[in-house]
Amino acid sequence: MASSASAAVVGSSPHRPLPPALSDNNLQPLFVLHKAASEKEDRKSVRRRMNIAPADHQRVDAGECMDGFQEQLQREAFEFVWSKIEKTIKAVLKNINSDAFSEINSWILESFQAINSFSSTSSYEATRSFPTAIDPASKRLFTGLVLTRNMEFVDDLMTFEDLAQHLKSQGCHVANLSSLEFSADNGTGGCIRSLLRQFLLSAVDAADMSILSSWYHALGNGTPVVVIVNELERCCGSVLSDFIIMLSEWVVKIPVILIIGASTVDVPGNILHFNALRCLCSCKFTLRTPVERMDAIIEAVLVKKCSGFSISQKVAVFMRNYFTSHDGTLSAFIRALKIACAQHFVTEPLSCLLKGFDEDENQCFQEKYDFLQEAISKYNWSITSCRRRSKVDERGGKKLVSAMVELKRLQDGWSCALMCLYEAGKRSQIHLLDLLCEVLDPDLYASRSPDSNSSSRKGSFISQAIQNVRDLPEAQFINLLKSWEKHVIAIPEIHGKVKDLQYMWKFGNAKRRKEQPPDMPRTQTSQNHLNVQRASKAVNDRAAIFIEYLINDLMQPMECVPFHEIVCFKNVEKLKAALAGDPRRQIQVDLLGSCRTLHCSCCCRYRDILLPSMQDTSIMYTLSQEHGDVINLYDWYESFKLILQPTNKGKHKKQSIFSKKKDTGKSEKLNEVAIQGRFCRGVTELQIAGLLKMQSKRRPDYLQRVAFGL
Amino acid sequence: MAKEESPRVSRRSTRSATSTPTSNKITEGGTEEAVDLCSPSVSDLVYGDPISLDVLLSTFPGRKNQILDLIQLLGPLNSPTLPFFVYGGPSTGKTSVILQLFRHLNRPFVYSSFRTCYSLRILFESILNQLILHHRNAANGYSSAKRCDKPSDFVILLREALTGVIKSLKESVGKSKFSKSERPINGYMTYLIFDNLEVVREWGKASSLLPFLFNLYDILKIPEVGVIFISSTSPDMFYSNMSCVEPIPIYFPSYAENDLRQILLRNQANQKLYSSFLDVVLRPFCRITRRLDELCPIFATLYMQYCKPLSDPGAVPNEDMKRRLYSNLQPEISSALNEIFRVQSRSSPEAETSRKPEQIGGKRKLASSEKLNELDFHMCTSAKYLLISSFLASRNPATLDASLFDSTGGSDSRKRRRKSSDKVKAQQETAEEELLTKGPGSFPLERLLAIYQCLTSVAEGSPDEEAGPDDWIGIGGENNMLSSDVLLQISSLCNANILVKGGSCPLEGSTRYRCMVSEDLALKVARTLRFPLAKYIYRR
Amino acid sequence: MGAEDAAEKALNLLRSRLCNPTFIFRPLCDSPDSNYSKLKFIVSSSITEACNNSVLLLGPRGSGKTAVLELVIGDLLLEHPDMITVIRLNGLLHSDDNSAFKEIARQLCVEHQLLFSKMASFDDNSQFLLAMLRECGLAHKTITFVLDEFDLFTQGRQRLLYALLDAMQSISSQAVVIGVSCRLDADQLLEKRVKSRFSHRKLLFLPPSKEDLQRLVEHVLSLPMDSSLPHHYAAEFNAKLQSILVDNRFQEIIDSYWDSYPAIRHLAKFLFRAVSSLNLDLGHLSLDNFKTALPSIKRQPKMESLRDCSILELYLLVCMKRLEVKEQNSYSFSAVIKEYKTIHDSFQTSDYFGQNVCRRAFEHLLQCGLIGFTDGRAHNQGIEFRPVKLLISPSELTQGLKSYNSCPALLLKLCA
Repeated sequence: MASSASAAVVGSSPHRPLPPALSDNNLQPLFVLHKAASEKEDRKSVRRRMNIAPADHQRVDAGECMDGFQEQLQREAFEFVWSKIEKTIKAVLKNINSDAFSEINSWILESFQAINSFSSTSSYEATRSFPTAIDPASKRLFTGLVLTRNMEFVDDLMTFEDLAQHLKSQGCHVANLSSLEFSADNGTGGCIRSLLRQFLLSAVDAADMSILSSWYHALGNGTPVVVIVNELERCCGSVLSDFIIMLSEWVVKIPVILIIGASTVDVPGNILHFNALRCLCSCKFTLRTPVERMDAIIEAVLVKKCSGFSISQKVAVFMRNYFTSHDGTLSAFIRALKIACAQHFVTEPLSCLLKGFDEDENQCFQEKYDFLQEAISKYNWSITSCRRRSKVDERGGKKLVSAMVELKRLQDGWSCALMCLYEAGKRSQIHLLDLLCEVLDPDLYASRSPDSNSSSRKGSFISQAIQNVRDLPEAQFINLLKSWEKHVIAIPEIHGKVKDLQYMWKFGNAKRRKEQPPDMPRTQTSQNHLNVQRASKAVNDRAAIFIEYLINDLMQPMECVPFHEIVCFKNVEKLKAALAGDPRRQIQVDLLGSCRTLHCSCCCRYRDILLPSMQDTSIMYTLSQEHGDVINLYDWYESFKLILQPTNKGKHKKQSIFSKKKDTGKSEKLNEVAIQGRFCRGVTELQIAGLLKMQSKRRPDYLQRVAFGL
Repeated sequence: MAKEESPRVSRRSTRSATSTPTSNKITEGGTEEAVDLCSPSVSDLVYGDPISLDVLLSTFPGRKNQILDLIQLLGPLNSPTLPFFVYGGPSTGKTSVILQLFRHLNRPFVYSSFRTCYSLRILFESILNQLILHHRNAANGYSSAKRCDKPSDFVILLREALTGVIKSLKESVGKSKFSKSERPINGYMTYLIFDNLEVVREWGKASSLLPFLFNLYDILKIPEVGVIFISSTSPDMFYSNMSCVEPIPIYFPSYAENDLRQILLRNQANQKLYSSFLDVVLRPFCRITRRLDELCPIFATLYMQYCKPLSDPGAVPNEDMKRRLYSNLQPEISSALNEIFRVQSRSSPEAETSRKPEQIGGKRKLASSEKLNELDFHMCTSAKYLLISSFLASRNPATLDASLFDSTGGSDSRKRRRKSSDKVKAQQETAEEELLTKGPGSFPLERLLAIYQCLTSVAEGSPDEEAGPDDWIGIGGENNMLSSDVLLQISSLCNANILVKGGSCPLEGSTRYRCMVSEDLALKVARTLRFPLAKYIYRR
Repeated sequence: MGAEDAAEKALNLLRSRLCNPTFIFRPLCDSPDSNYSKLKFIVSSSITEACNNSVLLLGPRGSGKTAVLELVIGDLLLEHPDMITVIRLNGLLHSDDNSAFKEIARQLCVEHQLLFSKMASFDDNSQFLLAMLRECGLAHKTITFVLDEFDLFTQGRQRLLYALLDAMQSISSQAVVIGVSCRLDADQLLEKRVKSRFSHRKLLFLPPSKEDLQRLVEHVLSLPMDSSLPHHYAAEFNAKLQSILVDNRFQEIIDSYWDSYPAIRHLAKFLFRAVSSLNLDLGHLSLDNFKTALPSIKRQPKMESLRDCSILELYLLVCMKRLEVKEQNSYSFSAVIKEYKTIHDSFQTSDYFGQNVCRRAFEHLLQCGLIGFTDGRAHNQGIEFRPVKLLISPSELTQGLKSYNSCPALLLKLCA
């Protein structure tokens, strides 16, 4: 029941909202099958119910025998941690685009000036039906092309709402038109109607641009009217073109400024009609790429621990690959993170310690102390890392507290080291995500012994970063030092190191300047240009050595730290199952082994034999396995009937309940009808599940299997 | 009885409607009395402050004949006219000439454009609102005076509104001598102007609307009404199925080169400089298009380039200066000739890379900078593979898949291809033809998935740099190849217009997809994957 | 100073005459075997003998069906005041039965000062119609139904026609149904049940003879001697007009126009164009008024839009023509571009432009209707691959190229 609870929690993830009620009735497989296409969370919870992944046995059992207090503690710890993480993510995403937003805003003001310079229409002229301007230049519609350099659009929906909010706060009138408004069937009228709905805040029956202009001029205050079209690719081109042309005819009377969200620059050229393109006077703005946003999120959430929660290397690698290879959406990544988090809190008994982990730890551990006492005594076997080191005894609680404090200290060091490394790697586009995956690798850590300064094998990101530090031109070098100083401010001794690196650099510079009088012959300049380089090189080397020191000393991966299970989520199998849990295969597995799912006593004894008491659809699907990719309907039905009411042969004790007098011709007939009904229902269900395709006109008595093998 | 009722009622309603906002409105003073001066009276059927004939003629260079023609056809004061049909290419000044002409004649008219009036109801109600002098505003809840969406009702309402207006016009003409508050209006002839008539041809119900419009004059049977149609397409596009006596055609030819020069010179600060600029650019661009609305934006940006080297904008250019300016404009021109849509980018820190305005399409052949062969938007790897495989699926004939890919993947596809070269040739020709005429071929989902599988298996073989130590295929590349992720990717590819789907349900095999990406985009994507796409595409 | 506004007054008079068809057709009505007298006989017989009638007026556009009908009705209204009620319906407005019945009810109400309710249902209206027919029959008032654009009423289920013609069968009612249509086979469109109730009376409107035409033109253009116009001016004007009418250059102009548009309304349009170009200070019509009017009325839109094309668009047209000469049954934009490339490669033309520019030019051509898609609205894929065809004949194209000023010689060579 702990698992179902987690399913409920996970189900209410920000992007795919799912009422917890749904996750309870995923007992009957077919329902799950139907839902499976849309909801990933369901799939996951089913998967766990069936206990296919052997890894989670003990954890779940541990979860089962856990007392209510424990569980409730974990629950609220999860709420606490996750809300924190979510807040952080929102903040990061909001201010990563802030500069683009402000730029857009200033552009809007400029173009608003331009429009006003064209049109000095009084409100009386503006309400006239005919165009008052004759200058073709006055028909230009200023258009901001906001490039979300991403094929997916899920992440940018929020962005555009934020943009709308931002512009509203700047005092523009903003309307946000989604791509659904620009559909061929409701045409131009639909767009205008929704425009009016958003501006006038009242439904108007005959939607007309003249209304908008009279509204605007009744307001009387000169503020730009901004229309945001947020997903160009999905708009119906002709409708949007008509809309744009209409706007361009009215732009003299209503200072409309259009903002279009598109993935690349040449999307408008492909979608819009050239008459519409002609009206646009466009200017492009670029948002941050998903990878950049991803790095920002990772930095905020996983590196600078906003909450003590962290993930192991395997999990990180999996999530990285899921992002790069499967779907490149942040929302999916965040969902994965949430699932991981939830799983961690469900399965890890001591995870409740994470609550208030980052505050002043002592009392927050002290108050839980008594609980911890018996918690440790109960689950000490479960914490492998500390068992490895020392026998846990009654003083485990105190030991644990100190361990937690230690853990936190290590984490801080680790994160600031990682940030320094990231800063160093920035110049050669090393992404924080990759870096994280590498840094978290425990055996890599094991491989490099503290004495050998060849910190990492060649070609890895770390070595690239270090190399980067080595050959960094001094202009950027000083910046790098500054950024380091910013990062390591928390840890005094390292801060000192950075400080004297800076001193050294300054000193070197000063020396160079001294030995470099302004007037000097060319030959010498070249010559001591060399030793200038040499000097700076020396500084770079020192810096590189410093980095290696950081790596060797501070960068201890989570998994090598005692008690890391408390804060670190390791079970990648479970996450994979939850996230990429392959619905079609799952469907077929469930169908073939339905008895495993609904634990009914009668069928489970005979694994391989099909019994009439089994679930119809699963019987039919099992039967259909004998056929090729086309199934003869009649044969299938016959075999189905044979199973349900076996004749002379192939009957065993279960069937002997039917006594001879039971199945007379009459009941046969009834059965016949009933069976046909059940058969048809089965076929439709299989079809709905997407395992079958209905027969074509040419071959009315054949079905086609569209399910690909397990 | 009802006839003289309607205008008075409407006038009362409009007065109440418009006086309330003007009283509590906070606008600049000038407009205010303009509003309550004109809103109740019929005198806002005219354009307002009339202009003289030679101002009119000078406003529109190269339109002298048309203007005089129109004046003749409209005839002297209060003389009835047959309907006109004014036509000519886009941006040849039809609408402006007509409107300014009415401004000059100072006669009452009702204008309605089919761009703004996108439906019958909007059209009818806007015409009626104008005739009944009804302004839709907050006071009357933005509702129109009469609700009508059927031609039959419209004719009734229109007739009574028109008679009312004409009646009041006649009496206002009578008393306009000694009434000073209102502007004098010339005559009682009222003209209905229908603009952008070509748009109606796109409408579904055009078949019923167009004959109605063209017969409106005969149906109304009011001699004091003139009907004017303005269209950018020639009359024969309308009369094919039309059942009416055609209106009198008036043709606006597209501007000749020197007309364009005059028009462009009209309001330029530095005439000399601009004319020297036009000497350079006008001729080459006129070979592409002579449309003012297409030339104006291009010339605006080009002129900025042209003036950039100049110190003071007021300078009068001499010969070598012109030559110098021309020489540094030259590359701009050649690029501008091949673009249809230019996107400026503001000078900003992150937009540094693309400082200069870049153009769509044309750049494809012209520029060869390194930013072309990098992909400028983010796709996840499986989506990239899907894109490539769909590209292949719609480019290559399906019969050749077997020879390209097999269970072991396309690794040795080269020699296989050599083997089946002769039969390839034949299918290749047909494929070329197909591609040229019908565009990229369509393919079922199964084929796409099969190719995808092959490609990913190939990619697994090849070393993959971006995943570093462990290669990405291991995680979920193969084992849930056909999982929902791939199907989700397909759907999002469809959303991005990379795949175009025909049919209904994506789970049914019956759906056929078609890949719309251009070849160089596909090659770009392949390059980011280090995938040898070129050897899979058939060429002659 | 008198001549000036006299001329203006004359111009106004002529224009108002030309705008009013009933005046134009008046002279054709006096002969006993004219449609006017036949129609008048039919209607007046139904008034006098209190019988029902139905008739179709068939004839090409602008041959004056409605005008004659109006004349007849007008005269009858004068002869028998308040014995006729005229209900006018138009196929363009009331083609669906609901609105038709509603309109009938409305007009009847207006006619008889009754209160008309918009909310009345179809059945109410039809009941009301039958009731009114009976009432008027008893009161010996004839109801005349004028169905303009009669052929449009035959679309749909023809309930209106059936109701009307069925009411004709009863003795009590007294009504005339006059259908006006420019489809000569309009009565073939009727359903069987309707056709059986229709008295197959048809009046055919044929173009008038030359001398009728002559008379008509004179009648329309000559000023009346007895009017507010100064007498000497009118006399002078008419004299000038006579001299023009007898001039056979004028005859040629009229004939050349009449051959292309053999209908009187078209002629009126032509005369209107000519008259409106009347020089006011000259004061009377002159031959070149008609001369200039002719080309401005008879237009060749294709030629004009060819003249509007830019060089690039002409190139595309020529490419398409070459493709059609090569018997490529269906070709698309991409094929045209290929052809364009080959031309460029072989001749090294100065104007070779990018594909998207060509595409814009292509869409210009589509817009001005020189080329068109052969398939329906298939918007699932871009313009590039939809099959297109030329909408002008090759001969027109070559002629247009010749008339195009500064057309590159290469194009002419390629097109030939």
